[in-house]
Amino acid sequence: MKCLVCGRDAVTDLCRYHAEAKDRVRAAYPLWVKAYGSIEWKDFLDNVKRNPQTGQWAKEIAELLEG
Amino acid sequence: MSTGYTLVICEKPDSARSISNALSGGECSSELVEGTKVFRFVRKGEEFVVCAAQGHVYGVSDPSVERTVYPVFDIEWYPSDLVDESSASATRRISAVSKLAVGASKFVNACDYDVEGETIGYNLLKYACGGKEKSALRAMFSTLTEEDLVKAFDDMKPQAGQELARAGRTRHAVDFIWGVNLSRALSQSALGFGHRYRTVSVGRVQGPTLEFLAERELEIREFVPIPHWKASGTFERDDVRLTAGYAKDKVETRMSAEKIRRECVGEEAVVTALRKSSVQVGPPAPFNIGDLQKEAHRAFGYTPSRTLQIAERLYLSALISYPRTGSQRLPPSINYRSIIHGLGRIQEYSVHAAELLKKEPKPVHGAKTDAAHPAIHPTGEKPKRPLQTSEAAVFDLVARRFLAAFGPSARRELAEATLAVGGHEFRLAGGRTVFPGWMKYYGRYAGYRDVEVPPVSEGDRFRVVGVTLEEKFEQRPPRYNQSSLLEKMEKEGIGTKATRAEIITTLVRRGYVSGDSMEVTALGLSVVETMSRYAPTIVSTELTREIEGKLEAIEWGRGSEVDLLRETVRSIAGPLDQLNLNEDVVGREIDSALTATVAKSFVLGKCPVCKSGDLKIIRSRATKKRFVGCSNYSSGCHTSAPLPQKGTVRTASRPCERCSWPVIYVGGGRRPWRLCVNPNCPGKEKS
Repeated sequence: MKCLVCGRDAVTDLCRYHAEAKDRVRAAYPLWVKAYGSIEWKDFLDNVKRNPQTGQWAKEIAELLEG
Repeated sequence: MSTGYTLVICEKPDSARSISNALSGGECSSELVEGTKVFRFVRKGEEFVVCAAQGHVYGVSDPSVERTVYPVFDIEWYPSDLVDESSASATRRISAVSKLAVGASKFVNACDYDVEGETIGYNLLKYACGGKEKSALRAMFSTLTEEDLVKAFDDMKPQAGQELARAGRTRHAVDFIWGVNLSRALSQSALGFGHRYRTVSVGRVQGPTLEFLAERELEIREFVPIPHWKASGTFERDDVRLTAGYAKDKVETRMSAEKIRRECVGEEAVVTALRKSSVQVGPPAPFNIGDLQKEAHRAFGYTPSRTLQIAERLYLSALISYPRTGSQRLPPSINYRSIIHGLGRIQEYSVHAAELLKKEPKPVHGAKTDAAHPAIHPTGEKPKRPLQTSEAAVFDLVARRFLAAFGPSARRELAEATLAVGGHEFRLAGGRTVFPGWMKYYGRYAGYRDVEVPPVSEGDRFRVVGVTLEEKFEQRPPRYNQSSLLEKMEKEGIGTKATRAEIITTLVRRGYVSGDSMEVTALGLSVVETMSRYAPTIVSTELTREIEGKLEAIEWGRGSEVDLLRETVRSIAGPLDQLNLNEDVVGREIDSALTATVAKSFVLGKCPVCKSGDLKIIRSRATKKRFVGCSNYSSGCHTSAPLPQKGTVRTASRPCERCSWPVIYVGGGRRPWRLCVNPNCPGKEKS
């Protein structure tokens, strides 16, 4: 199986790197909700994607999750 | 009684010249032997012939002609040019030494006194001079000044440094066995997938170093920033207005940040505490090579390998002591007064030197020691030739650091005021140097800034006129730069002071790390991933550190090289079996990473015209010339630019400040030149 994002070999739909990045993005959401009081999942992904501090694989995952 | 001459073997041609001039008082003649310059002179009635290697003229290799087979455990020493094309003159120099050895009755090893120098001298005495490695004398010196050289040759010792040579030769053997087997295993796996042959190497120190970089790269690429807020208050009283930061550096939620503003603005703040303290700041320890490399990177942005090269040139010009030292100590035997006095003859240091000479100079020492050489210090000699800008910079750094080591401690006054507003606290901090001490000698490199604290006293009352809230995001971890990576290697105890810079350069040359930013490429990540999966010990710091310890024990005469070589063979056999068994998987992964890395190496940066395509290096099918073109050509972006046809191209970490086009470094000559690829860049019009 190939990674949906980068085409590397993968056991599921994502390679090891993008799977870890996905976990990081998901883990960050409750922290953003706490920080802002509330934030929609879509807005969160959009902000993560546009933030210059976000890592390349996390950005790619945010784009993938945005659909 | 023998009537032959004394043959002196030096490490480099420049040191051969300096030694000959020093021992002959400038009365030496030179001639060419096998195309290699040698010097002749008579000293105290004894005839001397001085010749030089050019670094390592012997290298380790395997005796078989087949270069693809592994495992390889049989090794021999060969002239370096037979094992490494870049050492072109080795055979010629070996022939010269062999020819000169015939007429010699006494042999002197005058190579640099450290592991590498001892190995160079030992190999020449053993192989080129017909087994003279045990009977030769040793001349040991830390500077190439006339005084030191004369003293070294007057005090020559037999058999000195044999342990160093044993350790050096073992290190070469261990590294060869390690490197050749793993590199062949990886390269052959990739070749099996039809990729053009390319060396995919993993060395004993290279593996763990790449692992550090890859680990950080993963952290960076997976990083998701978390928001927080930073609050600061503006306080007023009569005509005094000051700004102080909220005591808690990070406010975790927007609601808490707004609460701070709501509860503080318009209220009264009271200075509840004013802490003043005075701290002594002692002078920095004298330089060892690692410290010099880090400081030159901080002060001038020089890479560790560049600093080492410059320092070696300064050493060969007798301006500084031997740079490949681990010591942070300056022994009295170097004669502090004479060096400071010598520096005083150079205008920039004359005032400082005169000041230091008023008292008996006594330097500060660091904790690190090196039995072979003292800390890097100036020799006190004036440059006899105009120094290049980079040489002058490093010389100035070494000279000032040396002077600073003799300076008194500096004194800084620190102050911190706390302003309380209800349950909230704001802090105002600053510091200033009240007595510069050694900082005066170290000059601009001292790096302490004065931040004045406004005059406030406990009990002073202010009105809070505003609170500013800044939304911030956690910063992702920084990539290593060459200096911080060198520091990490030192801290983890892998590599040696002589090899660390070269290992970093190799990682860049192999394509594992790209550009100035030390970003790990797909190939670099793939090598680490493959190794971690099939041969985890190869990239583990523990094994490498353990071997370093055993090599050091051999240096001190406490270890066995045979045991270490046996252990090396044992520790590498398992991982090699694993790589061999999984050759298909390893090959596919390395091959796909190689393809991705090569493809990325053609991309120079984003197209500044269409903003979505990539500017890439393209080779014209018609003219075979290379140029820059946009990847969106088929979608209508016809942005293109010519490129120099010769030299390697490397992308700079930042685009052009004037036009946002990519900037490249074109290599091939002595030093790469920087070029904005935009032919119409406004920066070019000006120049």
